[in-house]
Amino acid sequence: MRRWLGPALLLTACAAAAHAATLHFAPDAIMGRAMDALAARGVVLHRFTAPERVTPQTQSVVRSSPDLFYALCRYDLADSGAWLTLQMAQWPDYQSLSFFDARTNNFATIRGSGKLVAVRLLSPRSAAEPGAIVSPTASGVILIRRLAPDAERFAAAAMASSGDHCQLERDGAASS
Amino acid sequence: MIRRIVAYLFAVVAGCGIGIGSALGMAGLLPGASQLAFGDVDVGGWRSNFAIGSKTADPYTRARVARHGLLALAKSEAVYFTRATDNTGEPLREACSYRLSGGAMPAQWWSVTLYDAASMLPDNADNAPSVDASRSGAGAWEAVIAPTRPTDAAHWISSRNAGTFDLTLRLYVPQPTLLARPDAALTPPRIERLACEGGA
Repeated sequence: MRRWLGPALLLTACAAAAHAATLHFAPDAIMGRAMDALAARGVVLHRFTAPERVTPQTQSVVRSSPDLFYALCRYDLADSGAWLTLQMAQWPDYQSLSFFDARTNNFATIRGSGKLVAVRLLSPRSAAEPGAIVSPTASGVILIRRLAPDAERFAAAAMASSGDHCQLERDGAASS
Repeated sequence: MIRRIVAYLFAVVAGCGIGIGSALGMAGLLPGASQLAFGDVDVGGWRSNFAIGSKTADPYTRARVARHGLLALAKSEAVYFTRATDNTGEPLREACSYRLSGGAMPAQWWSVTLYDAASMLPDNADNAPSVDASRSGAGAWEAVIAPTRPTDAAHWISSRNAGTFDLTLRLYVPQPTLLARPDAALTPPRIERLACEGGA
């Protein structure tokens, strides 16, 4: 019986370690796959991209709302000294600017119904500054939601989106 | 000696398999898993997890939300309730029609959207995936959930090609009372089964 004690302990330890590792890495892996899917659908780095209205034929993210206009900006602040300048244009109904890190955490949301919102996003471990948000991870995605429950409102939201900006900057100079 | 080596190798492989499998199962990441098997809030059969989007969410919730509710907002901005059964406890399915009814909600804006078992909008071109506050007006409202457009309903949610489905209630800019005491603040929509194909 004692000769099975070692393998039994090893099996238990491996199971616990694999269980914990799977849970730890699952959000990163799922977010990474989602970012790849968004990139494949034309959501580029450091620019707001507004996919088509969410329909069964255009949906790319689970449980997207067909009643909202979405604009997405993927970001990568791995280069030191880089940051993002962001602007969410004015919209008369509900709208928000939300930030998701590489582990899917919604680390900040700014509500902006009826007003223009401007903010900067800084790389991890940056010192806090007024008018700026520090990203917990180097990469992630920023999402604008606008209430647009019909085709007419969606077209108007898309028009308003021409005033949205997501731009990488480095030492005072804009980068592409 | 060889038997011992084989036993240890088996322990590593089996242990990793058990650990990965149990994590995927408990976090709802296995194919076909329902996102409804979790939630720390239940109001009249509508379930929610107020830890969505938060860094404080436990690892199981974080993994499950990443799979079934990616890019969902934290509760201060929006809360999401989901229900997969009618008011008699039977699973919602395309073969049946339902009356969805409710009233004012404790939030700035709300919507109810139908999703299939893969958490996607069902594959149809009916342009009727949801009902929301802007279309239903203030006060009491009703919508019919059915695979074909009803002749006498003000609002319709299409279940065509949905199979077995669920409904997600979004509440944007929730009132503080909803977050503090959801069971007291929220009167969730009722889902009454009207008829099923073949009378089942």
